[in-house]
Amino acid sequence: MGLEDQLQENVMTTKVDAMVGWARKNSLWPMPFGTACCAIELMATLASRFDLARFGAEAIRFSPRQSDLLVVSGRVSIKMMPVLKKIYDQMPEPKWVISMGACASSGGVFNTYTLVQGVDQYIPVDVYIPGCPPRPENVIQALMKIQEKVAQAKAN
Amino acid sequence: MENQEEHQAEGVGRPGRPGRPGSNPEAVTARIRARFGDASVRDGNAVGCESVIAERDALLPFMTFLRDDPELTFDYLADVTAVDRLKLDEAVRFAVVYQLYSYKHNRRFSVSIPVPEADPRIQSVVSVWPGANWLEREVYDMYGIVFEGHPDLRRILMPDDFGSYPLRKDYPLHGKGERDNFVF
Repeated sequence: MGLEDQLQENVMTTKVDAMVGWARKNSLWPMPFGTACCAIELMATLASRFDLARFGAEAIRFSPRQSDLLVVSGRVSIKMMPVLKKIYDQMPEPKWVISMGACASSGGVFNTYTLVQGVDQYIPVDVYIPGCPPRPENVIQALMKIQEKVAQAKAN
Repeated sequence: MENQEEHQAEGVGRPGRPGRPGSNPEAVTARIRARFGDASVRDGNAVGCESVIAERDALLPFMTFLRDDPELTFDYLADVTAVDRLKLDEAVRFAVVYQLYSYKHNRRFSVSIPVPEADPRIQSVVSVWPGANWLEREVYDMYGIVFEGHPDLRRILMPDDFGSYPLRKDYPLHGKGERDNFVF
């Protein structure tokens, strides 16, 4: 004789963490940091053919203060890294980061004096996407990985 | 048409694309020699356009002449760049190269000025072509060549506190640790 038997089908019980996680993962607000060709693929992912709205993540905001998912898509030079760090710091908690493509993840083919060899040296990255540039399917899979992680996060 | 005939009479070719009949490649250098003397210039070897190598001491009068002379009228500075000839067999390490274009005569021209490593200075041509401003800043940023008289000679691509000149041939491709040790 649990609580659910008495309430029957009118009320569903769950944990706060699970409910908040479910709500968050289906309403991600991405902050695009597009500095190269990966940004074009990101735009394609958002557009009608691949339609990131199916995952509740179509509301791109160019203000980090309104976002909870940072998508670093492209090369980041040592002159640009302070900008990226500032954008990351401005995002409210909780926040997640996708490092999209070879350049953001490792410097890619640009093993040169001016390019940061992976943004994870300076900001924490949750999901890496390989590819140069990755196709929209890869971006969608990365977003689904992020959703898994968001669903497991503590609500606090 | 009257202008063209006048040019032919002076020995300067009709308007035409470089390398095409009528462009008369030697005409520009001949005109410069007539004004500055044989010793002031020597022929360069740029591919596809006329070229001259000049001394840096009298750069501004030289460039002003190229811009204002009615038979040359190089009214457009297309590019300023530099060459580091460290591993080439050249007595002087650097050369600053100016790519000029004349709308009036549809003619391109290239000026190369040797700049020694020990004293990497050259006069700024911003007062002749204002478009040289950012171009000279880029050369300063990449090669460390100082343009005297430039109104705003700051780095344009690299961070302000970047200590090296990355397009110099003795600068390593992976840098000197800047990409791992920058501050912010």
